[in-house]
Amino acid sequence: MPGEAQPKASRATVEVTTWVTKHVGGDGTGTRLFDEDIRRGDTPRTLLRRFTTRFPDLDSALWSSDHSELGSHIEVLVNDEVLGVSYELDTPLVGGERITLLGQFMGG
Amino acid sequence: MSPTATTTRTAAKSAATPTYAYAGKLLRVNLSTGKCWPEAWTEKDRREYVGGIGLGARILYDEVGPKIQWDHPDNRLIMATGPLAGLPVWGTGGLTVITRGALTGGATSTQANGFFGAALKYSGYDAIVMQGQAKKLSYLYINDDVVEVRDAAHLAGKDTWETQQALEAEHSLAGHRLSVYAIGPAGENLVRFAAIHGDYGHVASKNGCGAVMGKKRLKAVCIVRGTKALAAHDTRGLIQAADDIAHDLKTDPSTSTLYNFGTLPGVVNLSKLGVLPIKNYTTNLTGDVNMKEWEAPALRGDFDHRGHQCNACGMRHCHIQIIPKGRYEGERVDEPEYEGWSGAGWTIGLTDKYSVSWLNTRIDRACVDVNEFGWVCGWVMECMEKGYLTEKQVGFRLTWGDVEGSYKLLQMISHRRGFGDILAEGVKRASEKIGGKAAECAIFTMKGASPRGHDHRGRWEEMLDTCTSSNGTMESANPTFQTEVGAPGRINPFDGEQVAKLVGMIRGRRYFEDSLGGCSFTFRTKMANLARALSAATGWDYRLEDAVRFGNRTAAILRAFNLRCGIGTEVEYPSARYGSQPVDGPAKEHDVRKQWDRMLDVWYETVNYDRKTGKPKRDLLRSLDLGWLEKDLYGKK
Repeated sequence: MPGEAQPKASRATVEVTTWVTKHVGGDGTGTRLFDEDIRRGDTPRTLLRRFTTRFPDLDSALWSSDHSELGSHIEVLVNDEVLGVSYELDTPLVGGERITLLGQFMGG
Repeated sequence: MSPTATTTRTAAKSAATPTYAYAGKLLRVNLSTGKCWPEAWTEKDRREYVGGIGLGARILYDEVGPKIQWDHPDNRLIMATGPLAGLPVWGTGGLTVITRGALTGGATSTQANGFFGAALKYSGYDAIVMQGQAKKLSYLYINDDVVEVRDAAHLAGKDTWETQQALEAEHSLAGHRLSVYAIGPAGENLVRFAAIHGDYGHVASKNGCGAVMGKKRLKAVCIVRGTKALAAHDTRGLIQAADDIAHDLKTDPSTSTLYNFGTLPGVVNLSKLGVLPIKNYTTNLTGDVNMKEWEAPALRGDFDHRGHQCNACGMRHCHIQIIPKGRYEGERVDEPEYEGWSGAGWTIGLTDKYSVSWLNTRIDRACVDVNEFGWVCGWVMECMEKGYLTEKQVGFRLTWGDVEGSYKLLQMISHRRGFGDILAEGVKRASEKIGGKAAECAIFTMKGASPRGHDHRGRWEEMLDTCTSSNGTMESANPTFQTEVGAPGRINPFDGEQVAKLVGMIRGRRYFEDSLGGCSFTFRTKMANLARALSAATGWDYRLEDAVRFGNRTAAILRAFNLRCGIGTEVEYPSARYGSQPVDGPAKEHDVRKQWDRMLDVWYETVNYDRKTGKPKRDLLRSLDLGWLEKDLYGKK
């Protein structure tokens, strides 16, 4: 409606960090940010599924071999929270989320 | 130098049957009399107790009764290695220190690396079991069959690096030819969180094992790399297993960063999860610190550095650094582990990495546990900021990030000077002595131990482990390939039931690792791989289920030891601050206290211990062939 505030653009940021950046063209350090469209009905699962089709190495690292679940080595955070708190893998996205792929490490 | 105390030449009888992978003897030392003697251990015992903490737990249980406190001469100080030490598997120079510790008054298992384990095995021993108390400061010298308790008056007051340098000069040996594990001033002065340091950068740090060593007036154990051969039962199989482990370390996504950078990635990774402890748990925000500077490549590359690998290790983990600029420019230090960046840095608000690196090595040299130092120093800083401690009490003004002040505090603690005498008791006792609001800021478990260098309010599995463990630190450790024991690959870390079940299920892995004589980092592989290496080394048919069973047996023995010492379920919870809800950061919505009791219920059910008494249940003990322990815990029936 005229004069009414427009809904926030349906976009989300995918943040790829640390060693995971190697799978998206980085050097295994720092952070890479990707501004992604959210489509109707999108969830972290569907958005990430679409995202990883562009990066085959990340695709095999992030998902289990049958693509049904996440693998064990990359942590997924939504708005700085691990899955299972405010967001599940199948929680609808509303726009403006930051989805972080944080590589697990062992040690320390 | 001629020996000034006592000399014993141990009998060097050749074994009647081959003892694959093992030296086949323990070295007994009575520091009160200076007598040293070898003691054989049987193939049956080796199969049952393996080495390291497995062996040490049984000796501790059998020989240290409840009336023998940590500072009693009859307490045992056990430095035990294991069957893989000295063999061609990465990182196999390790030892585990087992004793009744000064912080909890209970069992202690704390592991370190370098070359000690290999040097000991090449000298003909799998472990050293020390009892008694020397009449004056002494050190133990081992050179194959020559074992001597020597006068250490010339080493009194030296820090650990100075001690090692002095012994290297004295024996005209350096590098891999001489392994030295020593205490610093803190151990000599019975600081309750004193540690034992060896080979420039390796520390058995937990539960005041250095105070036990200091009480025995033992400054150092010094081993010339021996000349005795070790044999693997199946050399080809062992090398194949070692290669497979190394391949996994290099290529597995979760361990390849460990292979390349050791524990350095922890700072940035854990900060994103709200697990990096900042300013004594007062915040979880990194503020205006440029975290690019804290990524692993920068933490390594911004220093002049070279590799400083342990025995037979191919990891790019341990390094020696030269500080390139700033106040400490030109100083040679040990590259901090994650725990050092945390305890000597973020925990106390110090974020100049060159200063952190310097302070971390100073902590190792004075020789206290870097984690406990962080909790003590951070507590003082917070209390002074809030007015709970005054300048008059402490002796000077200490503020967040003050490296020189922190070093001054370290010296006061190590020498028990002024307020340092109170702090030398550890953060639990010091805060309880001060009381009031100050006590509410201190981070510890009610058993008397304190967490590793994490903010466990975002890592509940480690908090639960730290509070329920029987070894003065953690006995499950962070999950490593946990799916091989049927645990889920990932859980919701803020679901208490899931957390407790996971901790219970992965329990015992650490004990298996710490019995083998190697490094917990090079052993970040599947337990099945470690069991395969053990089988090839010894000729046993050792499998994953044996490793799990062994870990649970060891845990049960240590639990029984602690119960006998009066350490029960009533102290299995965190201090007010340790268990508080974070005020900011990724874990701010989550309050572990709301789920704590339920977590304990689930954990007890999972490990099959009695929730009320803390005892391992009868059926568990029977399934573990611990009938003798069942009799002790429940009587004859």
